Amino acid sequence: MPRIRRAVEKIHKIDEEELIILKKRVDIATAVIIVFIAILIARLWFLQIKKGEEYVKLSENNRIRIQQIQAPRGNILDRFGRVIITNRPYFNLVWTKEDAPNPDEVVKRLSQILGEDISMLLSSIREASGQPRYMPILLKEDIDWKTLVYIENHHFELPGVRVEVMPSRDYLYGNMASHLIGYLGQINKEELEALKQKKYQGGDLIGKMGIEKLFEQQLHGEKGYRYLEVDVLGFEQQILQHQDPLPGNDLQLTIDIDLQQTAEKAMEGLGGAVVAMEVNTGKLLALASSPPLRLDEFIGGISTKVWQEHLNDPLHPLIDKTIQGQYPPGSTYKIVTALAGLGERIITPETVFYCNGGLNIYNRRYGCWKTAGHGAISLQRALAESCDVYFYQVGIRVGVDKLAVYAESLGLNQQTGIDLEHEKPGLIPTSAWKKKKKNERWQDGETLSIAIGQGFDLATPLQICRMTAGLVNGGKLYKPQIIEEIKNPEGATLEKIQPVLLGTVQGSEHNRNLIIKGLIDAVNTRHGTAGSAKLPGITVGGKTGTAQVVRMAKFKSIPESQLPRKYKDHAWFTCFAPAEKPEIAVTVLVEHSGHGGSVAAPIAKQVLQEYFKDRLVVETEP
Amino acid sequence: MFRFDRRLLQHFDWIILIWLALIATMCLMNLYSAVYPDKPPGTPVYIKQLYYFIMGMGLVLAIISMDYRVFMTWNYPIYVIICLMLLYALLFGKNLSGAQRWINLGFINLQPSEPAKLVLVITLASFYSRKDTGKGFTLKELAVPIALTALPFLLILKQPDLGTALMLGFIFVSMTLFVKLKWQTLNILLAVCASLIPIAWKFILKPYQRQRIETFLNPEADPLKTGYHIMQSKIAVGSGLTFGKGYLEGTQGHLDFLPERHTDFAFSIWAEEFGFVGSALFLSIYFFLILWGLNSAVSSRDKFGTLLCIGVVSLIFWQAFINLAMVMGLLPVVGMPLPLFSYGGSSLLTTMAGMGILISVRMRRYQVPG
Repeated sequence: MPRIRRAVEKIHKIDEEELIILKKRVDIATAVIIVFIAILIARLWFLQIKKGEEYVKLSENNRIRIQQIQAPRGNILDRFGRVIITNRPYFNLVWTKEDAPNPDEVVKRLSQILGEDISMLLSSIREASGQPRYMPILLKEDIDWKTLVYIENHHFELPGVRVEVMPSRDYLYGNMASHLIGYLGQINKEELEALKQKKYQGGDLIGKMGIEKLFEQQLHGEKGYRYLEVDVLGFEQQILQHQDPLPGNDLQLTIDIDLQQTAEKAMEGLGGAVVAMEVNTGKLLALASSPPLRLDEFIGGISTKVWQEHLNDPLHPLIDKTIQGQYPPGSTYKIVTALAGLGERIITPETVFYCNGGLNIYNRRYGCWKTAGHGAISLQRALAESCDVYFYQVGIRVGVDKLAVYAESLGLNQQTGIDLEHEKPGLIPTSAWKKKKKNERWQDGETLSIAIGQGFDLATPLQICRMTAGLVNGGKLYKPQIIEEIKNPEGATLEKIQPVLLGTVQGSEHNRNLIIKGLIDAVNTRHGTAGSAKLPGITVGGKTGTAQVVRMAKFKSIPESQLPRKYKDHAWFTCFAPAEKPEIAVTVLVEHSGHGGSVAAPIAKQVLQEYFKDRLVVETEP
Repeated sequence: MFRFDRRLLQHFDWIILIWLALIATMCLMNLYSAVYPDKPPGTPVYIKQLYYFIMGMGLVLAIISMDYRVFMTWNYPIYVIICLMLLYALLFGKNLSGAQRWINLGFINLQPSEPAKLVLVITLASFYSRKDTGKGFTLKELAVPIALTALPFLLILKQPDLGTALMLGFIFVSMTLFVKLKWQTLNILLAVCASLIPIAWKFILKPYQRQRIETFLNPEADPLKTGYHIMQSKIAVGSGLTFGKGYLEGTQGHLDFLPERHTDFAFSIWAEEFGFVGSALFLSIYFFLILWGLNSAVSSRDKFGTLLCIGVVSLIFWQAFINLAMVMGLLPVVGMPLPLFSYGGSSLLTTMAGMGILISVRMRRYQVPG
């Protein structure tokens, strides 16, 4: 091996002198190692001899359990600080694998006690199969007092089963504002994956919808924990270490409980929406979708059967109609047409059109709702009495694309930007839109339908309410605001939410005032369509609307009142008050109910009555 | 080729061999207890570990039959091969629990980062034995060994395997300090290291690694995961008392409280079942082997042999110390096996190869080179 020899020859050989130096260094290394061994032995002594008895106790009683202490979730308050939702203890049944490795017997016994399906219980256990075995698995949420007592008395027959007290939601006003506020549910695998860094764990409750979901990070607080020493049956012996949870922050809403309740009560049994907005800030005072969600059904997970029932319910309780319901705006859209006509100088307040109950144009007759006709009519009366022919004439002259420009400046055809999920944008057609969507040319006749808010036009109640606010507040389009401020658990303000101005309405103050006059007349003159919203002492201005529902020809001849519900028209009413210095805008939509003036306006009136309850002139009997 | 020299047998290092057998027996006993009484499907870990020990003995025999000085000529080819393997593992390796560490060789899943430690020892020993003048190294002269360490260090860190990467650092520091540095060099290096710590904290450590260290410094911060391991391990060790609970009688381990109990936390089972006396005995036997290895360093007649021994000893010693300190709750949880005692083929074979080198150096102590 000549190569090795050559290499070996290069190796530095050690002479005597160097050996002494090396020996010295090895001695140092030996000393270092011995020091480290001494550290280890000392540590062994400390753990096994000095503290040994303590650890024996821990290992004998066998078990340290880590118990999480859920942080109290932040409260949800109304604009005056009244509590809408707080927490109360829920008594939950949990089971720990470590204490009883075989679940079959226990589950069988429990299903008898709870009267619940064995497969439901087993599936919660399976669901949690990835968890460490010391982590309790939730079997049943919110058990009643009788079950609780029974379980506590029979715990020897139920190894591994414990009752855990967990704070969860207490809905002080029942289902009030349930679409807006949302509900909690157990965190699922995807959510857990997404929130891994934030100390969430299987079994935790998390906001699933509405404010509870969107403001989860504010509300949920920070968990505390306890190291518990437990005995063989899983019963607590003592706490070894603990850290208190940090409660979540409170959310103060812009919602006024009184208005919200009034709105929901007025809508009882009806499908629809009520929106009340502070016109100068965009703050929502009421946001009600009817019928409300029944929150008790969602606690502990909604069953497929109930879910299916809701899906088939003709009143569609699962849909938040304030932001997800899209309806033809009907005559409320005449506000847009009027603004466009004035703004494009197609009409003046003095311009007169003649209504003989319809308009013959493009080889067809387009009817006015008042078949007898309005006669010669100008803007202010046309708005008050909602003359269709007048607005056909304006619409033809303005054109579909110009109408859309004004509609969009009033916030239609776009999401309002409210902090809620799944908001629908509505629809305002243009000729380009039709070309793109249907590859067809725009028909002139379609402009007539558009001008009175029918045809392709779609809007949500929230959009119409904000449009109304924009009309009367000097042309400002605000982001609809639902959160007033975020407060810490002690009640101090952490963040005050400021109104956000999103845009301005096309057209002059002068033109808007002309329209406002017409809307005041609608409520306050004899022939106005919205007389049922008139209030003593407060001047209300408003616009009714009746959104036609597409129906088959065979129903044409039947009077509205005798139609099956699903073919009836949607009733709209949008209004503001006081007319001299508007503070509040209220929009009501009632699905499949008939005319705006007769159905929707009285509901808006109730909301206004509640809002102005201290300022109304009390009518005295003569 | 290989001319048998009677003197080789005369000077054979029986001590290491006997000690290896002793520790192997304890290891297998302990592994048996770690999985007792579960009956998982497949070959039990203690049987697999026995196979690895037998393979390891083959490796020892192969290494001692060669003159360790051949590693001087082979060292750069081996170094290049191991770096390529690390790169391969990083790019195409098997992903186990989030780290690209493994290469499938058919009969064994090899973790190239384990032999990489030994290769680094050989590489540094070879470099220093050629360059050392006894006057101490300057920073400029250290550039090459730093680079030689940095390459595999970064490849392993990227897997990510912080424990093994740190080990390379420990080997480098131990061997470099042994060959002597100029004071100025030492000071500069210390200053650089100190300034690197915050950078490493922020950019190099993965969130879970940071969390482990944070948990250790403040166990209340995240009691649910890492803190739980430390606590349970301490209970296992502490509850052993003076004489232990008896073989196969440990409760912490058998009741699933202890995580990783056949790999990184193997010693806590031993400590629980054999108590302070058994543990102290174990540590004495274990560290006697390390000190004996250190002693081999001065038995060599050439610097290469000396430095090889220093490297191998530092490799085993630091792993053992960090592992034991972790099990006893003195250091944060890092993935670090106890050499010869934790279950795992790559680590065991690497350690056995290191033992082979120690024996080889000692048995050739009267073969003056040249």
